[in-house]
Amino acid sequence: MTESPSWLGRRVPRNEDARLLTGRALFVDDVNPPGTLHVAFFRSDHAHALIRGIELGTARRRPGVVAAYTAADLGEFWQPGQLLVAPVPVEGAVFHAVTQGPLARGKVCCAGEALAMVVAESRYLAEDALADIQVDLEPLPAVGDLEAALAPGAPVIHQGLGGNLAARARQRKGDYEAARAAAHRVIARRFRYDRGVSGAIENRGIVAAWDPRAEELTVWDTTQAPIPIRNGLARVLGLRESQVRVIAPFIGGGFGPKIMMHYPEELLVPWAARRLGATVKWIEDRQESFFATTQERLQIHDAELAVAADGKILGVRDRFLHDTGAYDPYGLTIPINTQCTLLGLYDVPCYDSEFTVVFTNRPIVTPVRGAGRQHGVFVMERLLDFAARELGLDPVEIRRRNLLTPDRFPHDHGILFQDSAPLIYDSGNYAPLLERAAERVEYQRFKRETQPAARAGGRRLGIGIVSYVEGTGIGPYEGARVTIEPSGTVRVATGVGTQGQGHFTTFAQIVAEVLGVEVGRVEVVTGDTREFGWGSGTFASRGIVVAGTACHEAACRVRAKAVALAAEILGVAAEEVELASAGARVRGAPQRRIGLGELARRANPLRGAVRPGTEPGLEATAYFGPDRGSTAAGVHAMVVEVDPETALVAIRRYVVVHDCGRVINPAIVDGQIQGGVAHGIGNAFYEALAWDENGQLLNASFMDYLLPTALDVPTVEIVHLETPSPLNPLGVKGVGEAGAIPTAAAFAQAVEDALAGTGLEILEAPLSPNRLFELLQALPGAAR
Amino acid sequence: MKPAPFTYHAPASLERAFALLDEHGYDAKPLAGGQSLVPAMNFRLAQPAVLIDLNRLDRLAGIEPTDAGGLRIGAMTRQRALERDPRVARVAPLLAQALPHIAHPQIRNRGTLGGSLAHADPASELPAVMLGLGARLRLGGSRGERWLPAQEFFLGLFSTALEPGELLLEIEIPAAAPGSGWAFEEAARRHGDFALAGVAAGARLDADGRCRETTVVLFGVGEGPVPVPGAAAALAGRRPSAQRIAEAAEVVRSSLDPPGDIHASPAYRRRLAAVLTRRALTRAFDAAGKASA
Amino acid sequence: MIVKGEHAFSGRPELVWALLLDPEVIAKAMPGTRELALTAPNRYEGRMVVTIGPVTAAEFALVIMLEELAPPRRFVMRVDGNGRFGFTRGTARVELAANDGGTMMRYEADLQVGGKIAAVGQRLLDVVSRTLLRAGLAALGKELEHRLGDGDRP
Repeated sequence: MTESPSWLGRRVPRNEDARLLTGRALFVDDVNPPGTLHVAFFRSDHAHALIRGIELGTARRRPGVVAAYTAADLGEFWQPGQLLVAPVPVEGAVFHAVTQGPLARGKVCCAGEALAMVVAESRYLAEDALADIQVDLEPLPAVGDLEAALAPGAPVIHQGLGGNLAARARQRKGDYEAARAAAHRVIARRFRYDRGVSGAIENRGIVAAWDPRAEELTVWDTTQAPIPIRNGLARVLGLRESQVRVIAPFIGGGFGPKIMMHYPEELLVPWAARRLGATVKWIEDRQESFFATTQERLQIHDAELAVAADGKILGVRDRFLHDTGAYDPYGLTIPINTQCTLLGLYDVPCYDSEFTVVFTNRPIVTPVRGAGRQHGVFVMERLLDFAARELGLDPVEIRRRNLLTPDRFPHDHGILFQDSAPLIYDSGNYAPLLERAAERVEYQRFKRETQPAARAGGRRLGIGIVSYVEGTGIGPYEGARVTIEPSGTVRVATGVGTQGQGHFTTFAQIVAEVLGVEVGRVEVVTGDTREFGWGSGTFASRGIVVAGTACHEAACRVRAKAVALAAEILGVAAEEVELASAGARVRGAPQRRIGLGELARRANPLRGAVRPGTEPGLEATAYFGPDRGSTAAGVHAMVVEVDPETALVAIRRYVVVHDCGRVINPAIVDGQIQGGVAHGIGNAFYEALAWDENGQLLNASFMDYLLPTALDVPTVEIVHLETPSPLNPLGVKGVGEAGAIPTAAAFAQAVEDALAGTGLEILEAPLSPNRLFELLQALPGAAR
Repeated sequence: MKPAPFTYHAPASLERAFALLDEHGYDAKPLAGGQSLVPAMNFRLAQPAVLIDLNRLDRLAGIEPTDAGGLRIGAMTRQRALERDPRVARVAPLLAQALPHIAHPQIRNRGTLGGSLAHADPASELPAVMLGLGARLRLGGSRGERWLPAQEFFLGLFSTALEPGELLLEIEIPAAAPGSGWAFEEAARRHGDFALAGVAAGARLDADGRCRETTVVLFGVGEGPVPVPGAAAALAGRRPSAQRIAEAAEVVRSSLDPPGDIHASPAYRRRLAAVLTRRALTRAFDAAGKASA
Repeated sequence: MIVKGEHAFSGRPELVWALLLDPEVIAKAMPGTRELALTAPNRYEGRMVVTIGPVTAAEFALVIMLEELAPPRRFVMRVDGNGRFGFTRGTARVELAANDGGTMMRYEADLQVGGKIAAVGQRLLDVVSRTLLRAGLAALGKELEHRLGDGDRP
């Protein structure tokens, strides 16, 4: 028998694709038991208003309506939501926690807040009943501009605080003032990065079924964190955790907002199911998602970079405002990510970063793919570009001169990361990322030949190269249980959910490698609290690092049990037993073999004894809890063409050179990066939520909120480099957000390069052609 | 996003359709391709009490040549059918150039020519194309039929000359005069989006290579298709040159008073209109030159 | 959204003023107004139904309040419209000046549209408000001319 090559690093076709592509995968909306009741929410049109009265009588009398509720009807069940993430303990930080209740009470703080819930025989009838509801709202002035919200006399959103300041924190290292005084140049600019939605292809949804005989609640939920949802629901509903089962089935994209637990709907739908003794269902429609699902991205930075004459960074100072929306359930995660990620791949001796988090009358902000890293990268990369321009340096060169060298790892930056641990880069080898990217995109040839030739022909091509780090794989922990079944199938259960990352394949590859079986014989179960009840969830690019490592550890323990039992059965020492081709065999004498399925049967005797200190079967559970995250890194290069007359921009080429440590499945990593780049291109160029001065959202649909389509996103050319992480046995790092992080910075550099000589500076993201036109018109010498 | 309740009829004959329209008046909306109406109903922005589905009226779909070398197109003809028909490419190149810009193939599989014209969205391509081609429209109801030139059909924002009880039945496109050239240009954020601005242009040269006729119709810049007859003045009777074409584009730019929205300011729309006009006229004259040769 | 302009009427400012405060006349100036009645000093309430293109029967409960009255020169009108589709709120400052035997009306309005119509209809808000405003002014002008033509009666 020939040995099969390692499963790790192989482009294995995904285990889950056959089901997904033939429509056999279960999504929440596929759950339709007979007699299901349907929910619709009455949501506020106004962004800031006092609730004078809500009248539900007419709605309740409509035929087909089973019930309707306001906050008053919830009684003691009404409570402000829990704080999801405790604020990172930055010294001297101020944090005012204000969280949202399940239905608005007393006042409305953002448009889309739910004022009432209607339960009816169909969603059609429930929406008809919404038209029956009379709400008396007294509109108040709404505030959305961050500086206006902090100005004296601004409308105060949460009375008890006396103002709209939600938090403030400052992190420092070294002496920035001294660095500034010694600098050859100080580059200072104001940057603005604006709000967007996560745009998952599947909206949110919940089906809750209360079984009065078994006294059990089953909930199907598009959540990235089924276990915390289960724990929270049990607590608020007064049930035991064992009475509640939360299932996160196949989910069409998570990206962060689906972990915002508990959303009002996640509490109300199960509550209604219990109260009505029925199965209750709510599926969010797309228009609702613009208001009811969390968003991210508005920050304003006043930042400066102190550089030496040779382009070396002496220090950075940043003062920024961060929009948290009407409430702040997610602690300081996003702005801390911004603070940390700004440092990038560079050696930054001195740093002084302070942020102020502001309440506004806008939907709640929680992490969306990138989670604040985009902003840090945008600020640093842009400052470097402007510094390069002033110093007469090439943008690649100024980066080259500032990269951390391999001897500087592990590198402690002296500030705290989102997991409250010190920001320490575990491993990295950055110069090759930059060189490979420049080489792959043919940077030299572009600047010397391609670009000038195009210009002579009236075409404006431009190139942008930027770098970024991505902190990944943070704790607290995840677990996995691996079982070899008598059929020979290996079953893996873990607590994280899957929203398209390919866990059914990558975790299978990890386990298959340890146990010597075919990847297709490893069945992975994720996201079902009945299968595995300990863990946190899928977020912050940690699935493969934390859950993957737990799978590995559990598989290793099963391997040890299998080897020990096989050694006994085959009559050899354990060291002479190897696992391969779905069996245990003696090394050098492969005919002396016992299949894994047979081994599993033997491990579970119907007679005889299981010796004390051992367990029946071939099964083990393991947990992995890293005390800090691992740092991935990469470089993106982009070529654009700008039509100088119409300000329309096309992306001609996109290259990503990327290091996420050991790559388990290159095809899946490629997919993550391609998808991340699509997200990044949307961020940089298409997606912008437009609010009027009264907090009214003007583009709550995909007609006017533009997502890039397959026709707008180029195929990304991807190069993988691998610098393993020392923090886990596989050496893996996360990759979920990488593609989305530096795109706006690359785009800005490339467009400026295409229009070099005009004096154009791009200080904002996203940048639409309309806005580019406006910026160009404002430059001296612009044509009409 | 579920529609409000409505009564649904799917008449099998035109007579029955007219009778239903007369009976229900303003409470009824005819359903053609549904690509504009159904989303509006799902948003509950449109709440017709009665929906009259025209999709069983086979007689209203079809493409026939006219004796004069033009085309007669039934109102219920799908946009995708027009896109694929070689006669359309031959007789009405302006229409053939415009069709791929309308949304996406899936939408064009259902969307109809008549439905788009009757809807009269100011950002839509087909009204401008009909004006550019000098098309005639046949309207009819229980009280009889009438023909109307395209430029008299579009009255303003979502507003057409259709009287209560009337349906758009047929569109007649004349044969192109010899020496004609056509060009369609559109600026949009993404392929298939509503236009930020667009131009349907036609040009005709006489045997001398002088401009005999110029048509410039803009869309996405006002309340409906916007013909700019003044653009022709810069070119009438003269040989087209880059300079004169630029003058025509300037006439377009200064004559427009476009609306602003989150995608484009009035100034940006004016700029796009001018640039697209210049590019369209250049191509149209080029094509006219080849057609005369 | 700021909308401003001017419109000339024949008829002295005092006459135009009186007509402008007449609920029947105001109703004519807002296309689709089904009812409008004076319910308290300087307060009108009623119903308006807007139909534009596919949007049929967008019904609004209207409240109009007149403030800062300085007859016959100027007043401020506050409009509050609420419906299933969303809401509209506006403040219009109107000034009347004698003009060659007639009256020149100058207006500046700050109009806010919110809720569903704004969220999915923003593309058309500018065009729609211009269209409605133009239609409204034309209707107002016609009504005024009609009444003024009946003789110099207040």
